[in-house]
Amino acid sequence: MSAFALPADDNTTNDPARRAPLVTGAHDLASITETVSRVVERPAPPPAWYAAISVTSLVALSFFVLVGYLVTTGIGVWGNNSPVFWAFDIVNFVFWIGIGHAGTLISAILFLFRQKWRTSINRAAEAMTLFAVICAGLFPAIHVGRVWVIYWLAPYPNQMSIWPNFRSPLLWDVFAVSTYATVSALFWYLGMIPDLATLRDRARTRLRKTIYGGLALGWRGSARQWHRYERAYLLLAALATPLVLSVHSVVSFDFATSVIPGWHTTIFPPYFVAGAIFSGFAMVVTLMVPARAFFGLRDLVTPRHLENMCKIMLATGCMVGYAYAVEFFVAWYSGSGYERFAFLNRAFGPYAWAYWIMVSCNVVVPQLFWFKKWRTSPWRMVLVSVLINVGMWFERFVIIVSSLSRDYLPSSWGYFTPTWVDLGMLAGSFGLFFTLFLLFCRYLPMVAMAEVKAVLPHEAQRARPAPEHPATQRDIVPA
Amino acid sequence: MPPLAPTSCETTYWRSLDELAGTPEFRAFLEAEFPTECDTAGVSRRRWLQLMGASLALAGLAGCRWKKEEILPFAKRPANRVPGVPNRFATAMDLGGSALGLLVTSYDGRPIKIEGNPAHPQSRGATDVFAQAAILELYDPDRATGLVEHSGQDHPRSWSDFAAFAASHFGALKKDGGARLRVLSQASSSPTLAAMRARLLAEFPKARWVQYEPVSDDAQRAGATLAFGRPLRTQLALERARIIVSLDSDLLACHPAAVQYAREFAARRDPAGDWMSRLYVVESCLSVTGSMADHRLALRPKQIAALAEALEKEIRARLAQGASPAPAVAAGESKAARFLSAMAADLVALNRQGGHSVVVAGPRQPAEVHAVAHRLNRLLKNVGQTVWYTEEPDPDRPPHAEAIRALADEMHAGAVETLVVLGGNPVYDAPADVAFAKALARVPTRIYLGLYPNETARVCTWRLPQAHFLETWGDARSWDGTYSVVQPLIDPLYGGRSAIEVVAMLLGQQVPKGHDLVRETFRSIVKASDWEARWAKTLHDGVLEGSRFAAVAAEAADRPASGEPRGDFMESDWSNGQMDLIFCRDASVYDGRFANNGWLQEMPDPLTKLTWDNAALVSPATAAALGVENGTIVRLTLGGRSVEIPAYVMPGQAPGCVAVSLGYGRTAAGHVGGDPEAGVDPVGADVYPLRTCQAMEFQSGLSVEVTDRKVRLAMTQDHHAIDAIGLAGRAERLGALVREATLEHYREHPDFARHAVHHPPLESLWNEPTYQGYRWGMAIDLSKCIGCGACMVACQAENNVPVVGKERVLQGREMHWVRVDRYFRGDPDDPSVVHQVVACHHCENAPCEQVCPVAATVHSREGLNEMVYNRCVGTRYCANNCPYKVRRFNFFNYHKDLDAPENEVLKMLYNPEVTVRSRGVMEKCTYCVQRIQAAKIEAKNNRRDVRDGEIRTACQQVCPTGAIVFGDLNDPRSAVARAAASDRAYAMLAELNVKPRTSYLARIRNPNLELEGIA
Repeated sequence: MSAFALPADDNTTNDPARRAPLVTGAHDLASITETVSRVVERPAPPPAWYAAISVTSLVALSFFVLVGYLVTTGIGVWGNNSPVFWAFDIVNFVFWIGIGHAGTLISAILFLFRQKWRTSINRAAEAMTLFAVICAGLFPAIHVGRVWVIYWLAPYPNQMSIWPNFRSPLLWDVFAVSTYATVSALFWYLGMIPDLATLRDRARTRLRKTIYGGLALGWRGSARQWHRYERAYLLLAALATPLVLSVHSVVSFDFATSVIPGWHTTIFPPYFVAGAIFSGFAMVVTLMVPARAFFGLRDLVTPRHLENMCKIMLATGCMVGYAYAVEFFVAWYSGSGYERFAFLNRAFGPYAWAYWIMVSCNVVVPQLFWFKKWRTSPWRMVLVSVLINVGMWFERFVIIVSSLSRDYLPSSWGYFTPTWVDLGMLAGSFGLFFTLFLLFCRYLPMVAMAEVKAVLPHEAQRARPAPEHPATQRDIVPA
Repeated sequence: MPPLAPTSCETTYWRSLDELAGTPEFRAFLEAEFPTECDTAGVSRRRWLQLMGASLALAGLAGCRWKKEEILPFAKRPANRVPGVPNRFATAMDLGGSALGLLVTSYDGRPIKIEGNPAHPQSRGATDVFAQAAILELYDPDRATGLVEHSGQDHPRSWSDFAAFAASHFGALKKDGGARLRVLSQASSSPTLAAMRARLLAEFPKARWVQYEPVSDDAQRAGATLAFGRPLRTQLALERARIIVSLDSDLLACHPAAVQYAREFAARRDPAGDWMSRLYVVESCLSVTGSMADHRLALRPKQIAALAEALEKEIRARLAQGASPAPAVAAGESKAARFLSAMAADLVALNRQGGHSVVVAGPRQPAEVHAVAHRLNRLLKNVGQTVWYTEEPDPDRPPHAEAIRALADEMHAGAVETLVVLGGNPVYDAPADVAFAKALARVPTRIYLGLYPNETARVCTWRLPQAHFLETWGDARSWDGTYSVVQPLIDPLYGGRSAIEVVAMLLGQQVPKGHDLVRETFRSIVKASDWEARWAKTLHDGVLEGSRFAAVAAEAADRPASGEPRGDFMESDWSNGQMDLIFCRDASVYDGRFANNGWLQEMPDPLTKLTWDNAALVSPATAAALGVENGTIVRLTLGGRSVEIPAYVMPGQAPGCVAVSLGYGRTAAGHVGGDPEAGVDPVGADVYPLRTCQAMEFQSGLSVEVTDRKVRLAMTQDHHAIDAIGLAGRAERLGALVREATLEHYREHPDFARHAVHHPPLESLWNEPTYQGYRWGMAIDLSKCIGCGACMVACQAENNVPVVGKERVLQGREMHWVRVDRYFRGDPDDPSVVHQVVACHHCENAPCEQVCPVAATVHSREGLNEMVYNRCVGTRYCANNCPYKVRRFNFFNYHKDLDAPENEVLKMLYNPEVTVRSRGVMEKCTYCVQRIQAAKIEAKNNRRDVRDGEIRTACQQVCPTGAIVFGDLNDPRSAVARAAASDRAYAMLAELNVKPRTSYLARIRNPNLELEGIA
């Protein structure tokens, strides 16, 4: 590391004698409120925001136009065929569900493990989670042939006296994803209440006062409220933690419980969860690095935060790489010719290109994070994170499409080629995701102010008891 | 059109006040819509009722044209008609001058399904693909719908107009005895048409009647003439033949009696039987028969003649040798030489033991080869045992190529004033060198009668709509002479008339009655006083008893082979520019006449698995030498004419030759087969421009020019080129999926099929359901299946399976519920082939059922894996999880076209017992659950159990070889239970513990041990 000079605001040294600060710069309680609220309160967002949202919302709109085309015409507008009955639709679903893992992991698991560095990034990560789950939830809904009867998947009392089939992993998906979406949304919203109250109190217009006031649910910051709040947050964190593991495990059951070689694999649940965390963190980095630069949050989302995420990506990337290797071993060790073929075919068959994109992006590229320079240089890590996301999308593509394209009977082998609608809907889902995230940046507090204040050094907490903004009662409550 | 005389439309029923009043608007409308409607003169009330009743569903057709419609219910139920209960009528379909007896199912007056007639000696309940698809042809909205006279422009005409025209025109022609009148018809086995021809020629003594078929058995006739001095017809009894030698004959699929021969052949392919036959095939391009061969030799077409002569010489030599024959196979010789001597030794050895064989030559081979086959059958004492001869009907008929050439010459010379074309499509399918279209333009009066407004119709001055065989009276004889009456099941949908009726009109009949004409012929054939009773019985049974041709004694003249050999059959070198071009009858569109039939277009070729296209077939080695792959466009040039066509690499083809299918590239077929005027591109490439009168079957001197363009071919298997890994993976698993052995091996290890795959004991975690009562199952005998594809079309007809079109086949979205998988094994240039019929296996432990989130696919108490269409939401998870990949998804609304007014008529085609599936739902084989239910209801009404064989699935019913058996597995005496208990039975992918209800019987080959290892 000696050849590489750290930037001045670097807080990434691991000197046991000195606790690295989680907030850099000369921040006190008030300036933190000011830094975060300013993004929401400035009269007009920067032109870059307008430029970005006009592009992403157009793309998002095209997504809905394509959904309309799909629903009125038929699944045939996609490239799906026999034997590849699932392709981009389910690839995108699993991809987005995976992205949606980082948020809850950061907010729930890291919370339970007392990882205080989570405070600067948990809000944005949770928001991202929610938006990713929205994108994910759309795909299984529209991928069915008759979307107008999709409600039959719900176990509701009906005149047909018929339940859904509880043996189907697809039904488990419905429950897993909807539970996850509900809990994530609740958790996100609950954590935001004190900050919404701050925005309400700082609001200068009636409209803002009304909206943020309504959302703040009458938060006054009393000690009793703080007590209840902390309890509820802890309980929700405990509730959300198993979900982080369960939702992607259940998604992996879609494949693991089938009879198709390349799908029927017991390693899938942990492998999918690791992959989901991997891709989720990659997406957080992809979003937070530009956000902290554009919205002046460099002091709150510090290089240490980013470095920690890089380390998690390195760890989960290695897990994923291990899973890839073990799959091959098990395929060989199983003695099943079909299984062996499925994996050979994956690596060297018609979809070898996708497989090697996956391996390079998910296993080779993250190895750069062994180098501190790559872990601490924000734009480099964005490059790596984007590549990881590409790789993780291809991982799902490889698992789903390459396994289906060549299963048992060679007479029925096929090849999937996406149509323009497939590509358009993939792009469109990104448009929707980014649009939602941009709206979030503009209208909601991107960083959990109250929580960040709690991790400020004590001297900064005491320096100025924030006379202008008495509403942030958290200031006087010890962390 | 002359004004509609109010008296001519005195119908009791009327559809609107306008009609009743006969306003000019209505008449104009009527004329525009139904040019034939006003031709109801002479239609009795009874016939009108028939029309109304028989086509109740046609009211739907009317519904799209008139806003208001009134449907009249039967005031009195017609006899023998229970609403909702189908009736079955016996009839016959003539194709290329030979008929197949059929049994047609009719629902409420509309025919919906064609089966073979079990009483017919050729059919025995089975049919070929063409008969199956004829029902779609009947309802084809592209059929000719009205009479048209073309003079400058098209004028709609009525039959009475035509009668008036015929009376004056043909009356004038009579003056010089019809010297300038020519009639061109297709080959037909109809005795009535022959009688009408005789009457016409009696009336017009100087006229000539010419028959032309692009695909014919003229070589067979010529061969018989060479051998016997007259064109005798060869009849075979394959079930008595221990050795079958086919010299380029696809007798299991492309023979007029193919259905019968396939059945007889399969009967001797059961290793549990007394003996198993052995099939040697020598051919140029891999055929269905070749795919069943125990030993197959690929030779260029000319070399086959050389081989035939060598075979004759060898057999004569061996027969002369006496008791100690020379060793059959000398080591180190070429495959062809060893093949020849082993085959000869085998035949002679059999002959010594007193057994019988068959040597048969194919229609592609010249007369000499047929003569060799006749001589060999005599030498081997097969005549009277496995081979016998009957008189050829119409023995004086010149060969088709000669006939069309002579006719065209006359037309070119301007010697023909009136040409009546009764069916066929000579403008499209006549040999290129006769320039038929040009010749036709020189004929002033050109009258065309046909099902479609095709290439020929479009350049004729009179276009008459022909009645489909399901709409009209007629008669036909099958290959063995069995006489059948063709009876109508529905009034002509488009006002067509049959050829016999039109000839009657030419002879002056105003309103011909096909029924009476056929009865007249019948009477003259039967020559008995009880002919009325026998007529009724023939109508009912579908066959006239004792009408087979009588065997005639004939001895093939011994004509020693000409001194010099006919070339070297062991030569395998070739050069571009001297390649052979072979013309093949197409397995789907025949000679092009079925080009507008979607079922047939989408039926994959049995061996190439090509749909919606033809291709230039070349062997793998030849392809490598030329540098072509599947889909490379090649330019075939022969005699200065060239055609561009995609190449297809066909394993098992002889080197140095290119095979092309006839019947594609139609430019006036219709909305399915191609009609550039209507914006529909032709399907495939037309290769008739390369065909000449001298070389109707094959010709040397072909040069192949490879272009740099490539297209994707729509195949239902190997949709994409397979890479090395895929090939290795396929080779590895093939032995487990398709189990086969030689007869020898099977006798030593009768349970070999059960030991092909080793897996842990298949146990269940749960108490498995026990199936009391019926337990339906299926068994498919791979030793019998010849891969003809009839089951696919039969299933399509029975189960309302949609046609999806070329684009979607390219995408891999074909909808067939049952498919025939074809695998090659061994050397690509000399492979062995196996066909495997795959439909839903109705697994007891079905992977599809477990994963459906809405329980849309569930198990019945009888073990059927049922698909509940209206519960299906279309997640497609079931299809992903099906290891057999038999589930089909409605990616689009494949029935949307039915809403078009012109397609309303197609709705009559659908089987009312089977749901028509909507967009977004999954579908698959149901084991024909509607037939199961019908039989169960019938049995329950009679307070008994369903008997074995009472339920026949559509695929089982049509199968000529009886390879498919269906029934109750719980009944140990049932055919299916016995098959499933056979030592050859195995379940494909049983190791997945899905417990499939369909089992396969391993394929047993019967190779000549002396040739083991080379074939």
